[in-house]
Amino acid sequence: MLKMQNISKIFRTELIETHALRDVNLHIKKGEFVSITGPSGSGKTTFLNLAGLLETFEEGDYFLDGVNVKGMNDNQISALRNEKIGFVFQSFNLIPDLPLFDNVDVPLRYRGLNRKERKERIEHALETVGLSARMQHLPTQLSGGQQQRVAIARAIAGEPAFLLADEPTGNLDSMMAHSVMELLEDINKQGTTIIMVTHDDQLAKRAGRNIQIFDGQVSDINLDSSDVLVKRA
Amino acid sequence: MFAYNFQLAMRSIRQRKYLTVLMVMAIGIGIGLLITVQTMAYHNQKMPLAHKANDIYFIQADNRELGAEPIVQQPYMIYLTHRDAKNLMQGESPATAHTTVWKSDIILNSLSQEIRPFRSATTVTNSSFFSMFDVPFLYGAPWGAQSDINAAPVIVLTKESNELLFGGENSVGKQLRINEHAVTVVGVIDTWDIKRRFYDESYSTSRHDTAFISDSFAIKNNIMRNERLGCLPENRDKRGYWRTNDIQGLINSECNFVRLWAQIDDESNAKEYETYLVNYVNSQKELGRFPREMNNFVTSLHTMVTLANELRSGNDPLSFIAPLFFIVCLLNAIGILLAKFMRKTGEVSLRRALGANKAMLMNQYLLEIIVIGVMGGIVGCVLAYLGLQGMMRVMVYQSDYSVSIENLRHAFSLDFWMISKAVVISVISTVIVGLYPIWRIVNIAPASQLKSQ
Amino acid sequence: MEIRPILLSMKHNKFLSMVISLQVMLTVTVLALAVSITNQTLSQWNMPSGLDHDNIVSVRTQFFDPTVNLEQAIINDVNRIKKIPGVLSVTPNKEIPFDAGRPSRVYLDSGEEAEGHNTNFFDMDENGPTVLGLKLIAGRFYQANEVIRGQASDVNSPSVVMISEDMANELFGQESALGKTLYLSKGNNPAQIIGVYSNFMNGERLNGRGKSYHSVLRPTVNWAHNANPNYLISVEKGAGPRLFDPIQEALYQIPGRYIYGIERLTRTQKRMYDGRGSQGAILLVVSIVLVLIASFGIAGLVSFLITQRRQQIGIRRALGGTKWSVVRYFIVENSILTLAGLAGGLGLTMTFAYIMAQNIGESFLQFDVLLGCLAFVWIINICAVWLPARRAAQISPAIVTRGA
Repeated sequence: MLKMQNISKIFRTELIETHALRDVNLHIKKGEFVSITGPSGSGKTTFLNLAGLLETFEEGDYFLDGVNVKGMNDNQISALRNEKIGFVFQSFNLIPDLPLFDNVDVPLRYRGLNRKERKERIEHALETVGLSARMQHLPTQLSGGQQQRVAIARAIAGEPAFLLADEPTGNLDSMMAHSVMELLEDINKQGTTIIMVTHDDQLAKRAGRNIQIFDGQVSDINLDSSDVLVKRA
Repeated sequence: MFAYNFQLAMRSIRQRKYLTVLMVMAIGIGIGLLITVQTMAYHNQKMPLAHKANDIYFIQADNRELGAEPIVQQPYMIYLTHRDAKNLMQGESPATAHTTVWKSDIILNSLSQEIRPFRSATTVTNSSFFSMFDVPFLYGAPWGAQSDINAAPVIVLTKESNELLFGGENSVGKQLRINEHAVTVVGVIDTWDIKRRFYDESYSTSRHDTAFISDSFAIKNNIMRNERLGCLPENRDKRGYWRTNDIQGLINSECNFVRLWAQIDDESNAKEYETYLVNYVNSQKELGRFPREMNNFVTSLHTMVTLANELRSGNDPLSFIAPLFFIVCLLNAIGILLAKFMRKTGEVSLRRALGANKAMLMNQYLLEIIVIGVMGGIVGCVLAYLGLQGMMRVMVYQSDYSVSIENLRHAFSLDFWMISKAVVISVISTVIVGLYPIWRIVNIAPASQLKSQ
Repeated sequence: MEIRPILLSMKHNKFLSMVISLQVMLTVTVLALAVSITNQTLSQWNMPSGLDHDNIVSVRTQFFDPTVNLEQAIINDVNRIKKIPGVLSVTPNKEIPFDAGRPSRVYLDSGEEAEGHNTNFFDMDENGPTVLGLKLIAGRFYQANEVIRGQASDVNSPSVVMISEDMANELFGQESALGKTLYLSKGNNPAQIIGVYSNFMNGERLNGRGKSYHSVLRPTVNWAHNANPNYLISVEKGAGPRLFDPIQEALYQIPGRYIYGIERLTRTQKRMYDGRGSQGAILLVVSIVLVLIASFGIAGLVSFLITQRRQQIGIRRALGGTKWSVVRYFIVENSILTLAGLAGGLGLTMTFAYIMAQNIGESFLQFDVLLGCLAFVWIINICAVWLPARRAAQISPAIVTRGA
């Protein structure tokens, strides 16, 4: 499903090189619910950006659904991002000018689907997150939890191969956080792979598998077996 | 509080300097063109002889044939025949003085032929002209009323022609020739700040007459008539002959070419003059003249100039393009202003959170806008100065160098009034367009921008 | 495409959208009016003269002394001028090419109802066609013995005339003009057309009516006090300015005369077009400055909108939007606003054109010019958006994960 081999990411300025990620090797299988934890500055965001194809990497190979993304141009990567990946962000990242319906519509537009199919998918997705009654509302008219549900609807409407969630509950109180987590778990049960970045250990434990990033290096912890595997090349 | 607001405004102007510069330039360019065009119009619409414009009247009566097109508006009205002008001057009128004006082209030359002959645009008039129109003299004085009667061979020169003919020295008493007729200089006119040449209805700002001679002298010596002769249809083919060869024939004809000016010191007397004119026309009707319905005009100089201004304004494409141009520049400025203010939403909401009320913020941003408006006005004045200089040179080129920059300069100069107008327009319009951006920014909820999204 | 989201986002930026549309509206109005007026002003502008105008000198004089014998003076003038080295040929004349005065009328028959044809008469002696360098199209030039001489007041109408090619075409179309008769004024004897010559520019008045080359050559030399004589002088190549002084000296040999001016026909031609040319130039410069200002302003506003929407652009990129889709978004958005502005501008231009037509009394709006201006402003606007939109496309999609 998602396979990283010897991936490294280096930020260069004129004076210094920063290794944000070093030699990451990782394999996530279809249907998994993986949580990613680590302290601030450890490289979580960089990992997320690479996994979500938001940034390019210098070294290594990244197979997404069996396709090696290395060397693809921007348009190919955009299309891949559109089809394979759904995003849920800490700050929701809804477009404030657009009603819910049109927000969910954005990725479907880029997919080039016809109007009927888009409409069906949008309605279905909003129904899944329980907001089908508020399709024509603007994001600012919703609570934080509701906004995050819209973001989730947007992420799943395109039926992506996996869903990348970046601190999805970070801006929510515990009540709302709880319901958002339940929603994600439901989606996972229906077969969507989920990768969730969080700094909340409680949430991380709800995932089937936990990966820790520390100083740019990845340690894979299988929560089911409690075995600790440190992968180093 | 004002000092603090002013300080904040200045700081804001200095921040993102390029935005401020862009805005000032946008306003400045708009003002520049607007003031360039308006200054030209302003000089072209100045009231000549302003202090007497309500005491000087222009007299017209319609002596044409029955079939002629009716004339309703004064600016399209014909002049008088020579004899009607003369009769009106000699009758018992309520006017304190009269003068006639018609134009000629004469060749001034000296008996000794030591200077090349010089063509002079000439006004043919009588001695009252100089007192009625307050003409200043550098040397000598106008010819006397006696000279009007006996057609004395005298001439009044101007500073310009005196310079060309006599090198600028006091030429009173000296002889020269008008074509083949010897005349004596009796006076030289000083610089006459007339604004526009109103007395022959040309309203020219840049070309001046260079000689003045008496009507009686011109008639006696058949000095050519550089005038459009309005004649009856049956006489039209004689016009060329009457213009240059036969002045007596012209005077005896029904051809109109003479402008009659009257000085009427009291407005109620103007009514009386109208009656006088009606009576005169009726007396002529008895002689079989003036076949048409009575159509007289007794128009004050002030009214005449105002009518002429109305007629001439709005025909220049630039005069309506300039305001549109200015609006586009303002729209530009408002866009920049909005961009500038919207970047400050964070700061504003913080200030609101820290206790600034709307009025304080309003003051601060208004101050900023006023300062920008003033700067725009100043830049506009500089550009208008350059624009006027450019326009002046275009005019010189257009006239094929037949008018000099010296004669044009006064019609293309910025004065205190236009400069203040530029700054005031700039500030007021900037404030008007600034109101919306200010309203937007002042209404930002306190601290709304502070929490992370 | 993505029209709906664009419209929705415009709703949120009503004010800026309006500012852009209004700018476009006024800019296109000014541009269309300026270009229409200029186009109108410059029609018939700088047309071929049909003359070697660099090497023809025109001198305008007048006798103010009534005792001068004009007939003898003209003979003396011509002889004196001819003797000046560099002078090729000389003729007395009245009207001057590029500066011909009020048009006259000629008629094909003598009846009261005869239709008049506008033209300018050029009166010259037998050297006239040589001085102007006219080419013979048909027939023959007139001879010295056919030239009528006398006082202006009692000179007869000539019995033979020549007409220009365009004049012949207007009067007779495909038929030959030779041998036909022409009435030079109503109720006068007709003159026979003996030749057709190549076109030359008459002057501003007929030029303004699209009859720049309509002229009739009358073999006539007449004189009157306080009027001419004028002379046209053809000179050796480039000799013009050098000969001004000798020619004036020659003319001043007879006292009692005034010389209005001496110049090459090149300058007469310049004067003919000056006013219009500079007016057109001013209008064009003003409208180009305006287009520049408006496009800078619009580029600035789009930059501002982009800065405001960085996050949004990032989101769109993250959700799979390509770089091109970002550029396209802004171009489409701007084009909608531009089109609204253009529509408004069209209306405004027509209104102004109508008002001005009422003032001036003639309509000057040309629809092809109007459409051209609309298209031009649209293209300029797309260019103005292009650069900031390209920058927007460079916004990294990763912006979405770096906490807002």
